[in-house]
Amino acid sequence: MSLSTFSGLQVALRGLMAQQMALDTTGHNIANANTLGYSRQTVDMTTMPALTLPSISGNNGNGVQLGMGVDVTQIQRVRDSFLDIQYRSENMQYGDSSARADALGQAELAFDEPSETGVNQLLSNFYDAWSAVQHAPNDPSARTTLIRAAGTLASAFASVSDQLTRTATDAQEQYDAITGPSGDVESMAKQLAQLNTAISHATAVGQAPNDLLDQRDELLDRLSGLAQVSVTQNRDGTDTVDFGGVTLVDPRAANGYTWPQTLTNPGGQLGALQALASPTGPAMTYKGRLDGVVAELVRNVNDIYSRADGRNFFDPAGTTADALAVIATDANLVTGTDTTSAGSDDIATAIAALRGGQVDRNYASLVAEVGSDVKDSDNQQRIQLSLLDSIEQRRLSVQGVATDEEMTNLIQFQRGYQASARVMTTLDSMLDTLINRTGTTGL
Amino acid sequence: MTMRITTQMSARTILRDLNGNLDNLSNLQVQMSTGMQINKPSDDPYGTSRAMELRGELNGFQQYTSNVNDGTAWLNASDTALSGMGDVIQRARELTIEGGTDSASPQSRSAAADEIDQLIGTLKQEANVQYAGSFIFSGTAIDRPPYGDANDAFGGNTNAMQREIGPGTNLDVNVDISSVLGNGQTPAPGDDKLIDTLRDISADLRSGNGDALRGTDLNRLDSNQDALIAVRAEVGARTNRMTVAYNRLQSLTLNATRLLSDTEDADTPQTLTDYTTESAAYQMALKAGANVIQPSLLDFLS
Repeated sequence: MSLSTFSGLQVALRGLMAQQMALDTTGHNIANANTLGYSRQTVDMTTMPALTLPSISGNNGNGVQLGMGVDVTQIQRVRDSFLDIQYRSENMQYGDSSARADALGQAELAFDEPSETGVNQLLSNFYDAWSAVQHAPNDPSARTTLIRAAGTLASAFASVSDQLTRTATDAQEQYDAITGPSGDVESMAKQLAQLNTAISHATAVGQAPNDLLDQRDELLDRLSGLAQVSVTQNRDGTDTVDFGGVTLVDPRAANGYTWPQTLTNPGGQLGALQALASPTGPAMTYKGRLDGVVAELVRNVNDIYSRADGRNFFDPAGTTADALAVIATDANLVTGTDTTSAGSDDIATAIAALRGGQVDRNYASLVAEVGSDVKDSDNQQRIQLSLLDSIEQRRLSVQGVATDEEMTNLIQFQRGYQASARVMTTLDSMLDTLINRTGTTGL
Repeated sequence: MTMRITTQMSARTILRDLNGNLDNLSNLQVQMSTGMQINKPSDDPYGTSRAMELRGELNGFQQYTSNVNDGTAWLNASDTALSGMGDVIQRARELTIEGGTDSASPQSRSAAADEIDQLIGTLKQEANVQYAGSFIFSGTAIDRPPYGDANDAFGGNTNAMQREIGPGTNLDVNVDISSVLGNGQTPAPGDDKLIDTLRDISADLRSGNGDALRGTDLNRLDSNQDALIAVRAEVGARTNRMTVAYNRLQSLTLNATRLLSDTEDADTPQTLTDYTTESAAYQMALKAGANVIQPSLLDFLS
């Protein structure tokens, strides 16, 4: 068997085509240098199966294998799935710490401490007002000031309590918005299911749908911030995605996904939101502690105030921060146990002496506790962010596009293309010699 | 491990560093503009509760100081009134001695008796002195004058008015004036207190009872004066306690203010230095970022 005259042209053509494909891929990489979740792609080139040529003369050995040029076997994306798993696990932790830090920061702002308008200062004003009443028990303006100061204190307590409740309801609302109909979870699940279908079609005909895979990984990254995500790869290229303890995306399901479901083990942002919204979560715990402070205040003040004639200063039923109410008025205010003498002031003295007592101390310790919780969660968030960042850097190091590298590739493949073209020109001129110049002796 | 450095990595690194710098700068900026190093509890949880405690203490000291000032003014008003009463006793004593001499004429005795009656009025006036709208000698019945014109009965009560001058420390600011002035002559024959004595002196002057004037009246007047002096001494002693308490509160306030400032105020030179350092770091990060991102192989390809 001898070699076809034109086989060299085919080799050159394959070279041209392979270099062109590599150039196109380089262009694709450069174009997507800043695309989120994009993994750079490389062209895998291998040699074509060689053509075995028997030796022309049996005396001279066993013939040769003639190389038939290059073949592009696949275009693959460069990605480390182990880093993806690490990224998603850290992203879940980050989602958790970040939601927690946000909500606690909101709770911290509710206290408005240290400031001239916080409960601490208003408590102090309340004691000051009692002292002023003690100085001038029959001065109507001192009484009015006292009732006002008590009212301001009550509304400050109510406002802190309200803000704390709002922190919890905000968390619940956010949770509902994310998990609700056409929320983030559902929309991502739907897209994942669609991608699964497209990917399985491509995989069935032996193609690697790199860009679809990138999109699916990017969606899974985003999903992992919301809750614990674990991915099982199926033989047909589809992914089965467990989300927060339940199976969210499953190619065998009706639409490829199942939602809504009750998450058994959320973790991530959803887990944090669920914890924040719960009656045992931090916001409601703070509110409970604040209610305790108010109950103590009501009890202490009423115990003293009722010594005169059994009437109370604060409504004894309002022992929570949002229900604190002043029932004494400046007209019927009593300042001492001896209600027959205008200057009797032992009650005013005793209430003014509550300053710096258990109520103040409990409140200060509550504020300090909130402060240190916020500080902890901020630190936690910072740590998670830097962990997430370092994994993202490692991922980008593997899958990211380096323009210098692509430029180098561009030149390399351009030269390869030029060289293949030159081979073709050379063969052409060789054939020219063979076809047009050979056998013309007699002409 | 040798890392491939990709374009996005450099961009992310630069952004992260710049963000970190800006975050620090903004914290320092808040500290500089508020002058406080604690702007929310999480800045320093322990410091916050310490600051709140100190602020509470400080408010307390201010309140005690105001109580002391009020009490001192009250005591000063009492002292002035008591001093006026002392003058009344002096004058009554002179009149009693003059009236007690046998050479005194009935007319001069009657004039002296008139003046004694006037002096009782003055005495009541002094006793009815008010401070900030309150009768200071009425005990806790501060809305009623201790003595009326109609009779000599004490109209107040003997309850104490107190001012808190320190945690748990109360000081009486009123004195029991009825222990000096008494209730006059109801029930008869009287309680030997100042008003009763003066009424008797007036009667003795009119009746020309020189023996009584020289003897029992003068003696009773002396013991009344002793009682007044005792009360004045008590007021003086309490004023002294107020002054001591005031000075103590001033130094406590100063200490607490200093501690509070140490706890929550920003250390200005330190903050400024930090800000300058951080600002320089930010500039450098910007410069470095510009230098790293700018050049690429593209610049060198024709």
